Amino acid sequence: MTDRKELQYGDKMIRMEGVIVEIHEGCVGIDLKGRLGFLKIPMRMLITEYPLKVGQEVAWNMSFVEQLGPKANEKYVSNLDTYIRHRKEMEEKNEEGGRQR
Amino acid sequence: MSISAETAKEHAKDPAVLCCRAEEGITIQASNLEDPAIFDDLVDSGLLDLTGALTIEQVLGAKLTKTCDSLCPLTSDVVEGITAPTEKKDGKQQNVAYADGTDPILRTGSVQKDWTSVQGGVLKIHIGEGKDIDIELPVTAATPAESSVQTVPAACGAVQTPSADKIQDPEAETEEKTVRSLTRKHYRIKEVKRGPETKIDKDVLYIREGIEAECVASQELVHDLKIDIITPEEYHTYSETIMDVQPVACKEGDCELGTGVTRVLDGVVMMVTGTDDNGVQIGEFGSSEGYLDENIMWNRPGAPDKGEIFIKTQVTIEAGMNMERPGPLAAHAATDYITQEIREALKALEDDSLVADIEEFHQVRRPGKKKIVIVKEIMGQGAMHDNLILPVEPVGVLGAKPNVDLGNVPVCVSPLEVLDGCIHALTCIGPASKEMSRHYWREPLVLEALYDKEIDLCGVIFVGSPQINAEKFYVSKRVGMMVEMMDVDGAFITTEGFGNNHIDFASHHEQIGMRGIPVVGLSFCAVQGALVVGNKYMTNMVDNNKSESGIENEVLACNTLCTEDALRALVMLKNAMAGEEVKKPEKKWNPNVKSSNVELISNVTGKPVELVKNEQSLPMSKKRKEKYD
Repeated sequence: MTDRKELQYGDKMIRMEGVIVEIHEGCVGIDLKGRLGFLKIPMRMLITEYPLKVGQEVAWNMSFVEQLGPKANEKYVSNLDTYIRHRKEMEEKNEEGGRQR
Repeated sequence: MSISAETAKEHAKDPAVLCCRAEEGITIQASNLEDPAIFDDLVDSGLLDLTGALTIEQVLGAKLTKTCDSLCPLTSDVVEGITAPTEKKDGKQQNVAYADGTDPILRTGSVQKDWTSVQGGVLKIHIGEGKDIDIELPVTAATPAESSVQTVPAACGAVQTPSADKIQDPEAETEEKTVRSLTRKHYRIKEVKRGPETKIDKDVLYIREGIEAECVASQELVHDLKIDIITPEEYHTYSETIMDVQPVACKEGDCELGTGVTRVLDGVVMMVTGTDDNGVQIGEFGSSEGYLDENIMWNRPGAPDKGEIFIKTQVTIEAGMNMERPGPLAAHAATDYITQEIREALKALEDDSLVADIEEFHQVRRPGKKKIVIVKEIMGQGAMHDNLILPVEPVGVLGAKPNVDLGNVPVCVSPLEVLDGCIHALTCIGPASKEMSRHYWREPLVLEALYDKEIDLCGVIFVGSPQINAEKFYVSKRVGMMVEMMDVDGAFITTEGFGNNHIDFASHHEQIGMRGIPVVGLSFCAVQGALVVGNKYMTNMVDNNKSESGIENEVLACNTLCTEDALRALVMLKNAMAGEEVKKPEKKWNPNVKSSNVELISNVTGKPVELVKNEQSLPMSKKRKEKYD
């Protein structure tokens, strides 16, 4: 676990805007305007005043993302490796299943 | 921005600062003053220096002797005709607790160093710091013969109720009444094996080989299901995100949930995990995938206990369904197919000698004592943010209604229904703060409130947290009405995790608080879950955080409600009902507030509050690569 490092630019708050591009029952996908990225957040992290629609604009304050240190956390590396491996296995399995069908 | 006369009254003891330029000679009114709520930030950033500033109550009605700019703190140099300050009482009140440890009056919002106690017939008064203190004691109060009689401090005038009067007079108390009882019969399981049929043979549980295919067939969206039996030796195994931890229990005969007899297997729990066809986690966010022994906070109410065997299902659902409502539900229902077969085997047991332990729960009403209700906010935003309410079998699926389908409206249940598994949690995201199905089975606040002889727990209300704000307020108003009709003296409101559910959490406080009922809230807050909204009724809060840095640390159940939080909340509510004010929190999260409060409670009650461990007690993953399979 990384020691908690104070953020250097944490107080540089910027208003970010985005567009809701995906709506699922448990989450929404948001494109950041200006092709600045994509954000997928669970429903409970979204404050909703109106029924959700694709194309609705949203906004929030955020700062810059800073590295907490030079080291890679082995736990996450290991989980990621496993995840990629599992996904590959499942893809292969799906393909086999497709051929059999 | 200027403040109203009402705000000025609330902030009478806060510093007086001009909100805008004011001319020499004016009479200072509330409309000339800035809201003290913003001062902390201004002081932090060096824009404001409050040294020598007078208080709002001192300057109101006084004359300004010099033209001053906005954000200028008012000091005696520029103000004429200052009103004398009223006597400051905060922090200097004497708290009295009694020999039997009952009714400890503590300021639990922050630390108070001055306290008084009567223990073993000796009256101890400790004053850390202070002046102008008047202590008046009736002479008889210090005599041992009277020490067991509880008195309510004078400060409680505001909330005096007929029941409070009865507390003062033990003879007037009505007798306790047991409404219903629940018996839990524990069956010890030492080994789980696969076999030709699902059965329990002494302390061995057999799960039928080939049951997986039937689980898959039972749910259209489920494409695959794998069962892993994880023994303590195999805790260091990779697992997909843990979606739920459930007890294996069934009702005996025709008993209904929450009453009669429940049979439960000890030493074994059901664990639901899964992905979709593409390997994407169900409940994609805040995943706790990884090595089980590094991701589980053992022995939390909702988590497995160290030493238990897990019957872990790994369910594969249709691609893309991981974030749609039917997806997580199908994974749970497919797992419950196995649990149900075990339940049938457990029901069929006739040999009473296999019962290792019997636990009795009584729902006791205590007329005359302070009447309390527990409001538990559960997630209802959709998909994995859902819960099945009141199944036929403990933590089952059959017969239960999803609270999203019920419109998230409040549902009343008895405390024993909670402890008998009336919630099958589809458990949302945020592994550290989510309440697993097992959490309700061992809910600490319900248990502590049920056993507390000083209060009368009348029931538990479950209310869902819908997605849209308008719906949040709709359900919250229903909670307010329901609580009003119950005529309670106090209420607890709990919620799991953090996010938009804090909006309704705040609204529940308002709805109950505006009816003059003291409320104590319990939630994970700390750093990451800091409340997004607040109102003037949210003064009594208990933070469920246990993590070192106050964040969602991805360790299952780490930051959920534990006994230590329940005890703090109970003391806080008793104080609030006695009319004691809880001190304001510090501006930033400070874990010392909790430790000081815990120490105070231990000192006054004479019973140490044992604190649970946090993630620091788990193995660290330094040489993860070497362990990696």
